[in-house]
Amino acid sequence: MSTGNRTTGDGVAVHGVGTSHFGRQPERDLVALAWDAVREAFTDAGVEEVDAAWVGTVFGPAGVAQRVLRAMGITGIPVVTVENACASGTTAFAEAHEAVRTGRYGRVLALGIEQMTTAFAGAITPEDTDPEGRSGLALPALYAMAAARYLHLGAATREQLAAVSVKNHAHALHNPRAQYGGRHTVEEVLSSRMIADPLTLLQCCPTSDGAAAAVLGPATGGAREVAVRGVAMRSGAPWNHTSQHVWGHDIVRDTAADALAAAGVHAVSDVDVLEVHDAFTIGEIVTTEALGLVAPGGGGEAAASGRTALGGAHPVNPSGGLLSRGHPLGATGLAQIAEITWQLRGEAGARQVDGARIGLVETMGGGVSVLDGNACVVALLEAP
Amino acid sequence: MAVVDHLEDSVPHPITVDPRPQVERGPDGLRRVTGRRCRSCGEVAAYTWPRCPSCRDAVEQASFGPDGTVWSATVVRIPVPGRTPPYALAYVDLDDGPRVLAHVRAPVDAATATAPAIGSRVRLAACSADGDIQVEVLA
Repeated sequence: MSTGNRTTGDGVAVHGVGTSHFGRQPERDLVALAWDAVREAFTDAGVEEVDAAWVGTVFGPAGVAQRVLRAMGITGIPVVTVENACASGTTAFAEAHEAVRTGRYGRVLALGIEQMTTAFAGAITPEDTDPEGRSGLALPALYAMAAARYLHLGAATREQLAAVSVKNHAHALHNPRAQYGGRHTVEEVLSSRMIADPLTLLQCCPTSDGAAAAVLGPATGGAREVAVRGVAMRSGAPWNHTSQHVWGHDIVRDTAADALAAAGVHAVSDVDVLEVHDAFTIGEIVTTEALGLVAPGGGGEAAASGRTALGGAHPVNPSGGLLSRGHPLGATGLAQIAEITWQLRGEAGARQVDGARIGLVETMGGGVSVLDGNACVVALLEAP
Repeated sequence: MAVVDHLEDSVPHPITVDPRPQVERGPDGLRRVTGRRCRSCGEVAAYTWPRCPSCRDAVEQASFGPDGTVWSATVVRIPVPGRTPPYALAYVDLDDGPRVLAHVRAPVDAATATAPAIGSRVRLAACSADGDIQVEVLA
């Protein structure tokens, strides 16, 4: 567990969090899903209103933020919609945090919403105005390129890739809001349908609908307040023939360094529990390495050995992660914030990481070719 | 008013600018990607971007290929709108040039489809009817 770093946070705290259920919910609309999340977050924070709202969504229609907020009587305040691919929810969190930290607003809602089932039959349709999207590079194929490279270099094995899926699906068995918990074997994961070689179906996040929310405000030392230690956000540098690492590695490494510095946390090994971007199994492996939680080439072994499992030294994705909780893009980042908040308060039930004091959230989104990620957000939170 | 005088403008225009790198066949019969090289730092790109994405200095037209090396590859086996799976894709580092995403031209059927081995030498082939960059694996 954490060795300390008992400096104070940056003056901002998470006062309340809430989420909807995650899963295929085409029969519900975003008004209903958002209400589940906001109602719970407001009740959790003991508030009835906020001074401003940042809303993350990727595929939501124009005006969707105001549409869902109006339905719950949140009107007449500044509302800003943000899109940063898979990091849209954490971008909303980062901006809400900065608004409180600088005193621009007193109490701010960060909300993430997404309904994927009514937009896509399966994987996200590649973007036709992007060169690689126009060439048919579906997102599973982008991650498959990284996975194939890892296998080629001997930096991971197929079994280690599968171990990430086994671990996170097992974690999700203890998360009643997760889309797909399950006890799978490595063999079952590897024998599930091939999506983009070498990634099989159980190594890919499902199509999900959901919403998640957090209420941020000045830290007052309340018994249930989770302090924000530091937040950082970056877009990627060019990713091309000169890049030393697979796609998505360096942006996570650099954003994490920014966030750790902002938080005054000396090393990521001081972090007790992590929620990271595992849209595909290779994503968690690359991310744990980029964060510095494990050595280069050690991400697969960490998952296979249980080091990053519940009960291990550094549990990663106790919620089940994107692979198993589900991945409604705009909602994901705030679902991660909610999970870490529950973990740091000791409210995570059967998936609780005992004594967790410092938690880390990381989300990285992509889709723009020749760029090492559209956006990455890393946040460090501390227990009350 | 313009609104009624130009009814053809009342529907959206189709996207006509193809974002994919452009491939041209040279007098030697070989195909190369037309892109840009930075006059200052030498960085290359497969696109006609206005300045160097690395150092922001001026760029000039350059062509890359016809050969390259597979950096990584996969076979897409899920439905993608407008395409028939499976199809093989590779990131190809063109010799002294940029990394481009290419389709790997080969007889592909669901049972036998494989991605080319990483490190394979490939050559730019004719683009597909739909405009995709294609490479073929060199023996």
